[in-house]
Amino acid sequence: MTHHPKERNGGLNRRDFLLRSAMAASAVTGAGGLLAACSSSTTPEQEAATTVVGSTGEVEAELLGPGGLPLARPDKRVELPLWEDPIESGLEPETGGTFTVFNYPDYFYKKLLNEFGKEYGVKVQYTPFDNISSGIQRLASGAVEPDVMEMTPDNLDLAVAGQLIKPINLDYVPNLAKNVWPELVSPFYDVGSHYTVPYTCYATGIAWRNDHVSEDIAAMAQPWDIFWEAEAYAGKTALLSEERETIGMALLRKGHPDINTEDPALIDQAVADLKELYEICNVKIGDLQYQTIPEGRAYLNQAWSGDMIAAYIYYLPKGTPASVLSFWKAEKGQVPVQNDCFSICKTTKKPVLAHHFLNFMLDNGVSYENFVDFNGYQPPINEIDPPALIEEGIVPEHLANCVLTNDDFGPDSLQYMTLTQAGHALWQNGYSDFIAGGS
Amino acid sequence: MYRRWLWPGFALPGIVWLIVLFLVPFYTVLAVALGTVDPILFQAVPIWNPLEWNVGWLNEVIQRLGPGGNLTDVALRTLQYVAIALGLSLLIGYPVAYYIARLAGRTKALLLILVIAPLWINYLMRMLAWVNLLATDGYVNRFLTFTHVLSEPRDWLGGRPSTVILALVYGYLPFLILPLFASLDRIDQSHLEASRDLGASRFSTFLHVTLPLSKPGILGGAVLIALPMFGDYYTPNIVSEAPTTSMIGNQIDFYFHGGPQPTIGAAITVVLSAFLTLIMGYYLWTIHRATREARAS
Amino acid sequence: MSSVAEAQAVPRHSSWSRFRGWLGNPWGRPRFLAAFTWLYVVWSIVPVLIAVQFSFNATRSRTHWEGFSTRWYWGDPVDSVWHDPTLRSALAQSLKLAVADVVIATPIGVLLAIGLARWHGRGSGASNFLMLFPLVTPEIVMGVSLLLLFTEVFSFIGTGTTAQILGHVTFSISFVVVIVRARLFSIGRQYEEAAADLGASPTSALTRVLLPLLMPAIVASAAVVFAISIDDFVISQWLSKGGETDTVPVKIYSATRAAPLPSTNAIATIMMVMTLASITLGFLVWRFFTRGERRAGQAAVKDIRALEI
Repeated sequence: MTHHPKERNGGLNRRDFLLRSAMAASAVTGAGGLLAACSSSTTPEQEAATTVVGSTGEVEAELLGPGGLPLARPDKRVELPLWEDPIESGLEPETGGTFTVFNYPDYFYKKLLNEFGKEYGVKVQYTPFDNISSGIQRLASGAVEPDVMEMTPDNLDLAVAGQLIKPINLDYVPNLAKNVWPELVSPFYDVGSHYTVPYTCYATGIAWRNDHVSEDIAAMAQPWDIFWEAEAYAGKTALLSEERETIGMALLRKGHPDINTEDPALIDQAVADLKELYEICNVKIGDLQYQTIPEGRAYLNQAWSGDMIAAYIYYLPKGTPASVLSFWKAEKGQVPVQNDCFSICKTTKKPVLAHHFLNFMLDNGVSYENFVDFNGYQPPINEIDPPALIEEGIVPEHLANCVLTNDDFGPDSLQYMTLTQAGHALWQNGYSDFIAGGS
Repeated sequence: MYRRWLWPGFALPGIVWLIVLFLVPFYTVLAVALGTVDPILFQAVPIWNPLEWNVGWLNEVIQRLGPGGNLTDVALRTLQYVAIALGLSLLIGYPVAYYIARLAGRTKALLLILVIAPLWINYLMRMLAWVNLLATDGYVNRFLTFTHVLSEPRDWLGGRPSTVILALVYGYLPFLILPLFASLDRIDQSHLEASRDLGASRFSTFLHVTLPLSKPGILGGAVLIALPMFGDYYTPNIVSEAPTTSMIGNQIDFYFHGGPQPTIGAAITVVLSAFLTLIMGYYLWTIHRATREARAS
Repeated sequence: MSSVAEAQAVPRHSSWSRFRGWLGNPWGRPRFLAAFTWLYVVWSIVPVLIAVQFSFNATRSRTHWEGFSTRWYWGDPVDSVWHDPTLRSALAQSLKLAVADVVIATPIGVLLAIGLARWHGRGSGASNFLMLFPLVTPEIVMGVSLLLLFTEVFSFIGTGTTAQILGHVTFSISFVVVIVRARLFSIGRQYEEAAADLGASPTSALTRVLLPLLMPAIVASAAVVFAISIDDFVISQWLSKGGETDTVPVKIYSATRAAPLPSTNAIATIMMVMTLASITLGFLVWRFFTRGERRAGQAAVKDIRALEI
């Protein structure tokens, strides 16, 4: 298998995608936030008195996002309103000039971009953003004028409310229905796929070196407990540096399945649980497990499913067998999954070509090559399933659970999604408390 | 007549630059900390008019930094690390500066170059060097186990405060030695000879003549390294990464990289800056008083 | 001290009495301090030398030396500094920022130094204070404030190369002023006054007398600005917009936390060589231009002593 040079050293930039995607599960406000601008001494938490979350975690009033859009959840499907009509069907794609793709750095194989450009007679330019929120801000301020951009489900509301992305005419994107997993063809956050097509997907679990960690984590009654029993691995244990993932993990461990809760009591308890880890294993935080685990600098890590695949393909040092890597993720309904998407920007001057790009991206061959030869993130494509990947040698058999399937998604899956502004502030402050390292 | 405006005119471009790109940003931080957040894009909305300032964020941060708050520990820990690192730096740096300034003889210039060289070597490269040395199978562990100081390799990078403090000392010490050297070098030999002539022992001379005369250098050097050290966040990240060794800079870093509360990051920055300005003010007042006394005598 | 020592000198003849003398006053010759100082120098520099050594390692290990090789510099077709586009672009960005910084900060700083040194009217004290402030401000505070400036106030600039250059110049000006001012103090006003006595106007006294005399300081400060700009990490990171606007220290930082390859050591070594070359060049030019003014060997020390912060 071929290696792309960027894989080795651009590591952190690619990972920023994961960092921002999961963390960006925030957004916006409800009417409460707007009031904050008027008063002279407020914080969102004070405003939250008007939005509602009861102590049982049940929402008593409709949680609203920006522009009054309801907040989507896996079991609460939301169809976004069309702020303009999509383009007409049957138009010819524009040619000539530049076509700009706006995304995380090193996230789309340049070779494939060049192929697209050659096929349609345009010059394809790749503009990176540091993280999705700054990317959206730059788009909103007019600093960039891309044609297509990366989008995450938790930023979708504000992109639509801000009229930053255009509705899609699916006639131009037949590959969506043909190639993509059924669960993601009309996902809960974008019923009808009016604004997005999926790009890659991943889940959160635990990665470890089985030659150093003696416990059989997968067989434990509650595998997340391993972190609270990791005295032997002090200094070699880490959690993801993500406010949602860490607190969410503590919630799941105690059997609270709502990882989008805004209940202060639950969040406080989760943070208190996490703080126990200081004494137990002097836990670290970081997103670099795809390198530190194969290198043996860490033994036990909270990790994303693509990490061990990337570790196996690119980062395993010579002389270290692949069998030392292990990964566990929970059953559906207990495991946080996530996917990110692509959208067409309102600033595009080539809307038809943009549609063609989305279709190109979802082509079986293109997504396979992008995944295997470049970015190591699994696309939700039907043909790319675990048996095929194991057979091709991309994924070793014992790491088969690093590959997601269509069944991992659905109404009873868990996905970190948009919170109200007040809710997000709660999570953020809780995480700040955790990383402050105090008692 | 134009001569009166000549020199200020020279200074003007620099002053304007510093006002626009140094003072205005400071005011921006204040305006953001006392401002609001745009609900749609999470962009901070600064409030420029002091009469309309929203003190909610600043209050929240002050509460969290005060007794019982969840940022108290990290603030105290930062203070502790800086104090210990500063103390160790002075303990190591003063004898070195003293030797080079007064006792080195022929090797003075060479030693000066060797001691100043780290200033020009990238801080991160020096940290990278230590990360490699402190790895479990790195030279430090191999040397210490070989000489039987340690019975087995120690996990230096596993989130230890001692590693962070030593890294801070290693990183900032060269910046202390230069002002220390400058002030020790300036001390007139005749003062010391006079003291010895009057019968004081070597040690007593040092204690009662050299040390006080070098105080401005000590103070200046201490301020020069302590103030930036308070804002350090990359050193704990490189050699530790554990929350138990994080510093206040890490909190600022966190709040500014996404999320709906850049105002809290700005508020913490304001509190930190206010604290450092107090220290700076104390230093300047001490210097001012000392120069006034020196002029008077 | 020497006369006192002579007065107290005890004739030392036998090795035993010499040894006793040494024991009685081990600080007689500053052996302890000398050893301590050299030990410090070793502790300070050797780790960096080892890092440089490992940049030439034949394998990817940073802890086990396995032979000499230049693969991390240009040999390895994938990971070497020469072949890896991200490392190359980081190097290019660092150089771009450093050159822009020197070109902009040096003139502004020189003018500011002359102005501050000669200006005694109202506002000079405050201006002096303003100039000193960036030297003691923690970089994160400057990073935060500049980031907010470029995203809230001057949002047409935003983050990226322009912002990075403006940020670098801001903290560089103070360094130029401190260095040039030290030189101004050691020159004194005598030459300008002599020129004035001989009928020169203030401006021609400036250009034909003062500036040539200041040349060593100007070149030295340019070299210093180049060095600190190349080595800057915090400001470059905060004002970067990712991808190609990352500088070498930013790349070293992310690599150090993950799993650095010796190519990280290699690019750090390249940077170090460039910085030291710049400083050495500045120093040599200083010495060349001040060669008529000093006793051999003492000038550098004297000039460093004159630095008043």
